[in-house]
Amino acid sequence: MKLTRRQLAAAVVSATAMAQTSQTPVRPTDELQAARERIKANGETLAQQQVPMATEPAFQFKA
Amino acid sequence: MANIASDVFFAALPELNQRLAAKEFSAEDLARAFAERLAQLGPRYNALALPLQQEAWRQAKEVDRDLKRGRTRGPLHGIPYGVKDLLSFKGQPTTWGAKPYAGQVFDYNATVIEKLSDAGAVLTGKLAMVELAGGGGYRLPSASLTGPGLNPWDRTRWSGGSSSGPAAAVAAGLVAFAIGSETSGSIVTPASYCGVTALRPTYGLVSRHGAMALSWTLDKLGPFARTAEDCGNILHAIAGGDSKDPGSAGKSFYYTPQYTRPLKELKIGYAAVDLDARVEAPARAAFQAALEALKETGVELVETKLPPFPYGPVLSTILAAEEASVFEALITSGKVDELADAAQIAGLKAALEVPARDYLKAMRVRRVIQEEFSKLFAQVDALVAPGRAGGATKIDQPLDRAAAPSPAGTPQGLAGLIPAGNLAGLPAVVLPCGFADNLPVALQLVGAPYSENLLLAVGAAFQSRTDWHKRRPPGL
Repeated sequence: MKLTRRQLAAAVVSATAMAQTSQTPVRPTDELQAARERIKANGETLAQQQVPMATEPAFQFKA
Repeated sequence: MANIASDVFFAALPELNQRLAAKEFSAEDLARAFAERLAQLGPRYNALALPLQQEAWRQAKEVDRDLKRGRTRGPLHGIPYGVKDLLSFKGQPTTWGAKPYAGQVFDYNATVIEKLSDAGAVLTGKLAMVELAGGGGYRLPSASLTGPGLNPWDRTRWSGGSSSGPAAAVAAGLVAFAIGSETSGSIVTPASYCGVTALRPTYGLVSRHGAMALSWTLDKLGPFARTAEDCGNILHAIAGGDSKDPGSAGKSFYYTPQYTRPLKELKIGYAAVDLDARVEAPARAAFQAALEALKETGVELVETKLPPFPYGPVLSTILAAEEASVFEALITSGKVDELADAAQIAGLKAALEVPARDYLKAMRVRRVIQEEFSKLFAQVDALVAPGRAGGATKIDQPLDRAAAPSPAGTPQGLAGLIPAGNLAGLPAVVLPCGFADNLPVALQLVGAPYSENLLLAVGAAFQSRTDWHKRRPPGL
């Protein structure tokens, strides 16, 4: 079976539509609040980390 | 046009080279066969973003002209491949897997594509991905312009993300190899779930010019392929300094596994807890057997553990701060709401609010993590752990409920190796190592920066004693 780009695009759109309908409905405001809380929790975890004063951030990150 | 047997679609590079040289088929025959297979079967796995048949045939004809004159450019000459749709290909859509960028077209090629073109490889298509490489934190595999990535081993399972298309396309024999990317887990996870060999190079070794930026200090590009040897040959072609990539280390890579230390001199760190309490029950036997096979290569396995750091929060903070800056215009314009996944949308919006204090602290902790890894690699030459805890998750399973937390008091072992390895910019090789409930599982071998030859040598030795990397999904 050969697909034209137009047929492929149609398949992509229908697959995406199917996928979107399968999502668990969650209110956007709740999602945003949950995301903010994760960022806050990460910050609290970081605050507990002791780092020597002389330690510079890994700017110009090189492995 | 020569008839291409189905085993060709699953052949490693040396075999393809040999059959091309023997004129069993031409490069154009090979490109046409792979391109048609990709166009036909790619949508079955939601693995295809854009077919590039005409471009592939034109390029393959050039290869045939070279071959006719007795010229060969190396092991990638005439080999069909695909790239994750976050790499720009001149004049063609580059969607980054996301609706807001569906019409995006660049007027230049990514450096990786240029390098592969120079090596004679034939680009047959762009491959699907999780939208924006999933940086905002997506809940469902459906977070993609092309729909959820379906696993060739079982279409009710996820192919993994964010390099879903590259992993699925290699597993299904739609391309001979593919280029994907990893910020944190986007090569290791889909390679593990789809049962293909893959390589995450050291940060800075492969130019990201022309690739979507998600996190400037974490993004890496790397190959999905049939074998460790193939990954080495591909890395040889794509590595190297590039003034167009500010993160480039300016280093080259020569695939020379024969010059690595003898395997019997190598110490590889592992943690028993990773192979027991931390993996899913159906996968335990496969991982235990894989470790035995690894021992048979001659390496010494020594119990070890990662230094205790909150790797997840450190990585999430750096990623959030950097992606928010990259996608600031998308977020503030409101076009972010066009993305498919609600959690990803919220994650990107919230990421704009990461305090500078947290980002800087995370980057300072990151430096300490790097120093601790230097000490660890003075004791062991590499680390080995499961790529993922088990087989691919179900396609409708929310990813934030994918894994049960380890019981309280579980030793550290190598838990968090994916974020830890990415924070320290470490290379990793993914090696298929068995099955759990008919789904592939894989080991990840992680080494010190620029230790790719060592990892690939161990990987090749493992693959010479096992055949997991040669298995084909049912019906393919």
